[in-house]
Amino acid sequence: MSGVAPPPPNTATATAFPAPPKKTEDEKVNYLDLPCPIPYEEIHREALMSLKPELFEGMRFDFTKGLNQRFSLSHSVFMGPTEVPSQSSETIKIPTAHYEFGANFLDPKLMLVGRMMTDGRLNARVRCDLTENLMLKANAQLTNEPHMSHGIFNFDYKGKDYRSQFQIGNGALLGANYIQSVTRNLSLGGEIFWAGQHRKSGIGYALRYNTDKMVATGQVASTGMVALSYVQKVSEKVSLASDFMYNYMSRDVTASVGYDYILRQCRLRGRIDSSGSVAAFLEERLNMGLNFILSAEIDHKKKDYKFGFGLAVGE
Amino acid sequence: MASQARRGGVSLPERRSSNNEQNSIIARVSQSPIVVRGRQAASDAGFVAKKLLKSTGKAAWIAGTTFLVLVVPLIIEMDREQQMNDLELQQASILGSSPPK
Repeated sequence: MSGVAPPPPNTATATAFPAPPKKTEDEKVNYLDLPCPIPYEEIHREALMSLKPELFEGMRFDFTKGLNQRFSLSHSVFMGPTEVPSQSSETIKIPTAHYEFGANFLDPKLMLVGRMMTDGRLNARVRCDLTENLMLKANAQLTNEPHMSHGIFNFDYKGKDYRSQFQIGNGALLGANYIQSVTRNLSLGGEIFWAGQHRKSGIGYALRYNTDKMVATGQVASTGMVALSYVQKVSEKVSLASDFMYNYMSRDVTASVGYDYILRQCRLRGRIDSSGSVAAFLEERLNMGLNFILSAEIDHKKKDYKFGFGLAVGE
Repeated sequence: MASQARRGGVSLPERRSSNNEQNSIIARVSQSPIVVRGRQAASDAGFVAKKLLKSTGKAAWIAGTTFLVLVVPLIIEMDREQQMNDLELQQASILGSSPPK
């Protein structure tokens, strides 16, 4: 960690101790042999995994059936209240029920995922390795409402110690980002985007420092967003995460702290944030291929209580 | 907050004193400054106690529900994990040094 910036003291002590010179030698070699960073859009991956589970309210049932090694079908049923955006501060919930049918084709080189909902929404994702280093990702969301359909293509190029991505989407959306490993642990990245339909453009920077015990990330963008996150791996089973989000334009700040326990039979995630909402998400493995999910979220300030349970079969 | 309550309390005995001017002992005692002060203090204390009780109740409710959501599942799952570990250890000791699988 500190060995990178001041090499002279290390080499000075090297004469006294046999161990340090090996270390500095290692780090000298590292600059030409840095690990590949993780994609720019996934730099908050660990913190998001621990702090933002898919909380839901109501009942859900997911069933996945593999037809053969690569092809599988999924059926899922959801029943429960869903929030409707409204102008007033209190949330309005209307009871809904829907069924979703999905088809997946998974291959190391090609991944195709399609989801069809009973209300007419269709979601399709493609992920395809064009060459060894170049990958194409496409995502499309089609609805029967006008102007709500989206499509986006991503071209990812993975270098030896960097990654770059080019994005093109409907609504004249163009974007590019680049992330480079600077030292063994630190990677820096930047992005630029232009949304022609909304006449908006912006740039952003990101920083990620990870060791095998912790991950710290920071991201700023010209849209006014500042996001910091920190994940500490306490042991093999337990990790603690915290994040901080600040928007310069709307002046709203949120911070949250959470834990993530991965035990043999279950995974439990809990979180408390600065707006006063408390959430927990429990995935319990009852049997091979049978998972029971409990989700709870309590917001005392808004008097909004969400509890959900679900069952996932297959996989 | 307390001074406001005291001011509100003062207006009551004043009105009563203007209404009935009879000099009975009970009236004199009840209008004596000590009793008036005492009554004010008691009502203030009652008011504060009520507020305090209400807010502590609310805090306890929030803390309790938070505990129920965040900590209770954790305790249960840790206990299960511990039990499973113990069972495995027991099985290993019964079967002897050879691994069970």
